Amino acid sequence: MSYYDIDSILTDAEKIPCTFQVDIPDLGYLDNTPTQPLKAGTKVNLPLWLAEMLAIANTGDAEGKSFVTFDLPPALGNDVVQALKADPRAVPLRDQSAHFYGLATHMMELSEEQELAAALRKTFVTRASEVALHARKVGGVGHKGKADEGSNLGIGGAGEEFLRGLDEWERKLFRKAHDGAKSGKEWMEGVKKH
Amino acid sequence: MALPLPPGLTHAEVAFLAEMELVTVVPRQRLESIDLLGGKTPPLRPPHRTDLPLWLALLLKKQRRANILPPAWLHPASLADIIKHETKTDPHAFSPPPPAPARADPSRPGQARRQGEDDSSLLLLSAPFRPSCTADAPAGYLPYHWLEVAESLLAHAGDDVASALGASAGEVRGLLRDLVEVRAAKMRSSTAQLEGFGGGLMSLRGVGAVELAESRGFVLGVVDGVRKIGASAEAVRREEEEERGGEEGESDEEMGI
Repeated sequence: MSYYDIDSILTDAEKIPCTFQVDIPDLGYLDNTPTQPLKAGTKVNLPLWLAEMLAIANTGDAEGKSFVTFDLPPALGNDVVQALKADPRAVPLRDQSAHFYGLATHMMELSEEQELAAALRKTFVTRASEVALHARKVGGVGHKGKADEGSNLGIGGAGEEFLRGLDEWERKLFRKAHDGAKSGKEWMEGVKKH
Repeated sequence: MALPLPPGLTHAEVAFLAEMELVTVVPRQRLESIDLLGGKTPPLRPPHRTDLPLWLALLLKKQRRANILPPAWLHPASLADIIKHETKTDPHAFSPPPPAPARADPSRPGQARRQGEDDSSLLLLSAPFRPSCTADAPAGYLPYHWLEVAESLLAHAGDDVASALGASAGEVRGLLRDLVEVRAAKMRSSTAQLEGFGGGLMSLRGVGAVELAESRGFVLGVVDGVRKIGASAEAVRREEEEERGGEEGESDEEMGI
C-alpha cells in the first residue's frame, strides 16, 4: 500500500464503534454535550485511523488501560458474516462498505478474527469467479456486430445488480479481467488484417 | 512511481513470438536457402515438405509460392477429442501439453527414446524450439501457442486447412471457440482452489500463451487479494512458529548441557 493510495486513505476514514475507557475533559462535543467532559463508557463512532491510535496508545496509569476499546463495525457484524457464509454472491458488499475488504483486513490486523478471515477468503474467491464471468460477458470492442450483441445478454437483471454490489477490490478485479478479455477480443479481430 | 505497464506480455507480443513456431509447408517453387539472423532456412525443393517459421510460411502462402500443412492437432476429430477430455475425462484440469518428441532408438529395436534425453545439448523443451506445430506434431495435445497458430492458419491459409483436414474452416473455428470457452470457464473456477489456507495453488499446466495473457491480470489480482486477507493470520502463525522454534532451541541447549 502506497502512501498516496486513495483507497487506503478512504479505508482509514471508515467509522468504527468505540467505547471510551476514561473521562476526557473538553471532548464532550463528540457526544453532543459541548459543556460536559466526555464520560468513560460513552460510545462514539471514530474513524479507523484515530480509533487505532487511541486503542494502541497507553494512558499511562497502573492498569495499563487504553483510551478506547473498539468493536467490529456493523459491516463486519455477525449477521453480515452469516449471510456471506450462506451465499457469498447474494450480499451486496458495497452497501456494507465501499472498502469492505480493506476495512476487514485492517480490522483483522488489530484483532485476531480467525473465523472472519476464513469466511472472507471463501467470499473473495467465490465472488472473484463470478466477477470474471461478468467481465467476460459485458460489452465488446467499440464497434459491435450482431454476434456481439448476443453476448451482452448477461448484463441487466441479476448481473447488473451483482456488479453494483462490488466493493473497491472487486471493482479493480473486474477491470483487470475485463481488460484482459477485451484485448483478447481485439487481437482476435485483428488477426485477419495482417 | 512504478512502471505503468502491466506485468507480462500483451496479446500482440505473444502473437509475434508465436510466429517463430515451425510449420510444415509444401513449396510450389524452388527457393534457395536464406541466410537469416536466426540461422539458415532450409532450401525449398518442390514437392518436398519443409519446416519453416510461421511468418515465412505465411509470406510464401500469400505469394502463392507454398501451401501450408496444418498440424494434426488442428484436425476436427483431434479438437473434439480435446474438448471431450476437457469436459468429461478431466473437468478440473487443463488438457496436458504435448509430450517431448520421441525418436526410435536404433540400439534397442521397438523402443523409443525421448529426444535429447541422452544428450543435454539437444534438450529442446521450450515453446518455439519444439516442433509442436509441424505436420508430425502429435494429435490430441495442444501446444503452448495453439490459439495463435490456429487463428493465423485459419485466417491466412483457410483453404489449405480445409483441403488438408477435410473439414470447412468454419467447423474448425467453431470447435476452437468451444475450446476457448471451456478453458476460460476452467480458468475462472480454478481460482476457487485458492480458498484453502496454505493450499492456495493453481495448476496452470497446459495453459496456452494467449490464455495466460488474457487471465494474467485477473489471476494475479485474486492471488494478491487472498494474500492480503490472509496476511494477519499468516503473521500470527509466523510468530507462533518463531516462539515454538525459540522454545525448541532452548530445550536443545539444555539437552546439550
